[in-house]
Amino acid sequence: MSMRLFELMLWAAGNTILLSAISILIGFVIGLMVCAAKVSANPFLRIPGTLYVSLFRGVPLLVQLLLIYNLLPAVGIMVPSVVAAVIGLSLCTAAYQAENLRGGFQSVPRGLLEAADMVGMSPWKQLVRIRAPIAFRLTLPALVNEAILILKASSLVSVVGVIELTRMAQNLSASSFRPLLFYSVAGAMYLVICWAVAGGGSIAERMLRTGSRA
Amino acid sequence: MTRSAVLVRDVHKSFGDVEVLKGIDLAVPQGSTTCLLGPSGSGKSTLLRCMAFLEETTSGTIEINGQPLGFAETGDGRRTRLPAGDIRKVRSRIGMVFQQFNLWPHMTALGNVTEALVTVRGMKRKEANAKGEAQLARVGLGDRGHHYPSELSGGQQQRVAIARALALEPDILLFDEPTSSLDPELTGEVLNVMRELAGGGMTMVVVTHEIGFAASVGDKIVFLDQGKLLLDGPPSEIFGAPRHPRLQQFLETYLDRGAATLV
Amino acid sequence: MTLDFGLIVQNLPEILAAFWMTIWIWIVSNILAVAFGFAVATLRRYGPGWLGLLLRLFVEVIRGTPFLVQLFLLYFGGPFIGLSLDPIPAGLLGMTVYATAYYSEIFRAGYNAVPVGHVEAAECVGLTRGQIIRRILVPEMTMLVLPQCVNMAILMMKETAILSIITVPELTLVVGAIGSQQYAFVEAMFLLALFYWFLVEVSGFLGRIAEARLSKFRFAHS
Ligand SMILES: Nc1ncnc2c1ncn2[C@@H]1O[C@H](COP(=O)(O)OP(=O)(O)OP(=O)(O)O)[C@@H](O)[C@H]1O
Ligand SMILES: [Mg+2]
Repeated sequence: MSMRLFELMLWAAGNTILLSAISILIGFVIGLMVCAAKVSANPFLRIPGTLYVSLFRGVPLLVQLLLIYNLLPAVGIMVPSVVAAVIGLSLCTAAYQAENLRGGFQSVPRGLLEAADMVGMSPWKQLVRIRAPIAFRLTLPALVNEAILILKASSLVSVVGVIELTRMAQNLSASSFRPLLFYSVAGAMYLVICWAVAGGGSIAERMLRTGSRA
Repeated sequence: MTRSAVLVRDVHKSFGDVEVLKGIDLAVPQGSTTCLLGPSGSGKSTLLRCMAFLEETTSGTIEINGQPLGFAETGDGRRTRLPAGDIRKVRSRIGMVFQQFNLWPHMTALGNVTEALVTVRGMKRKEANAKGEAQLARVGLGDRGHHYPSELSGGQQQRVAIARALALEPDILLFDEPTSSLDPELTGEVLNVMRELAGGGMTMVVVTHEIGFAASVGDKIVFLDQGKLLLDGPPSEIFGAPRHPRLQQFLETYLDRGAATLV
Repeated sequence: MTLDFGLIVQNLPEILAAFWMTIWIWIVSNILAVAFGFAVATLRRYGPGWLGLLLRLFVEVIRGTPFLVQLFLLYFGGPFIGLSLDPIPAGLLGMTVYATAYYSEIFRAGYNAVPVGHVEAAECVGLTRGQIIRRILVPEMTMLVLPQCVNMAILMMKETAILSIITVPELTLVVGAIGSQQYAFVEAMFLLALFYWFLVEVSGFLGRIAEARLSKFRFAHS
């Protein structure tokens, strides 16, 4: 593989990373809202929240992507395919992240909140100072895991024509008749990215753990 | 003196470069109850686990009823590992009761007791069940055979574990703090079963912090400290005055003063 | 947008065939993958060191790369090393290999989650290693890993959709094609999404029943 082709692959890998990172971030924000809705006492929030999680986790991402990619123009919204892809990935990861967050918030030991109550913290203060930081630490491993899942799942946006790592490998394989080479290189690049994220995640976890040592 | 059921000679045991047992010599007479005392980390569990071959000694020998356990000495002072079949055979003379019971959660109480009778001894299911029921009755659980461990109290679970060990008719029973993970009000039922076994002539080695039990049931008290066997003798001698200063310190630190003066 | 159920009724035989394709590939690949995954976990635990290292590499590579790339490598790259597979066998093989890696991790964690004492107790009453694996570890592990296995199986149900990309005639491919022909792609995809959702919810429900029935073996601890 020539240097030029390798650079093309690297560029495509950059797209994969960018696409995934943006989707994870947007998905985190939506996920927070969905999580809040799902644990809400108000049924007008709780039921849609629950339904959202169930639907987006129950339908294959590929089907979601195909649906969104074709639905947007059908209802008159013209966006580039990369935008449709980011919307699809974000909506999907939001459902998973909402569940992770819910698990995190629910595993904050009750006693810690009771202690906060006893020193007179308002519920809002408790949320900001006690619940959220602890819940975030608890969900960090799940978040890293989700990031890796989305990195891999982002390969599916190749079907709607977004030029990321998988699509690039596909294009180059087709034009060069060397699928073994290009798919292997793409696979290796995914591996490196995923391992890097996993490694970064465990470093962050370790740092947070030292930071939280009593 | 009667033949030793367990004979421990110059046993050393290291984990990595930490020596946990530093040359232990101990004879457990047949039909006697030996109580192992000692501060936390002194090596009591390690010694007991070596006797059950759950840990392999670094050097030294252990004999069970005169048979070498695990290793045989060769002429030149080295030792070789015995074949797995031989190890299993010697080991079958030993029963072990753990602090955490270690009942298999997917089997009923009766299933736990009969498992080895069927799979190891090749007994017929029906025969094994009859024997298992009898063992459960012996520990006062004749009516609990069909309960799963999760449906039993801690004291009941530990008694099932004792029945499981008894079912194989061992010559020697080893106990590693059998009551330490029980609520105080449940220790009595387990200690009573052990007291009965001792009265019936079973050879037992018991690691325990129950000083009262050790003093009243033990024929022999062994005090371990930092991997060395510091004291070895009948309870009257060990607990009576003058008391070894380390033992006195142990009794005062690890138990409340009341217990230390009681015995 | 109108939901046209006529779309389904008119093409029922084709859709049923596709549904059957999805289901059997899903079931067969999962059964194979559970068996292979268990073997991988067991060999990593009890097999020779070099084999364990090799299997670990296999698991890490499969888990670190997208399923789609694995499928492309197998389906398009395979012929270059003498492995020319039709879409269906390629899909089945790809699914099995992929799921094997994930199931093996579940079983590895399962082995590790069985308390050491339970194995020691079995050693003490004289069970052999094979008996300990069969009679103690596997049944105990089963109830520990069942929820994760159910999750994994459901995940794999959704992954079957990806097989459409290498033209396995399963639900997504067939329903998508019908939708395109009838100029009702969005409607078709919408119905398809609902259908997968239903399948996933039903499998999850059945899985929870199985878990509940095993819950009486839950861990007993002081
Ligand atoms: N598997 C092991 N690996 C490394 N060190 C070990 C291991 N098992 C025990 N040790 C160490 O050996 C020493 C003796 O441990 P042991 O469990 O025999 O003590 P013990 O007298 O039973 O204490 P306790 O009363 O707390 O049960 C301890 O310092 C312990 O940390
Ligand atoms: Mg101990």
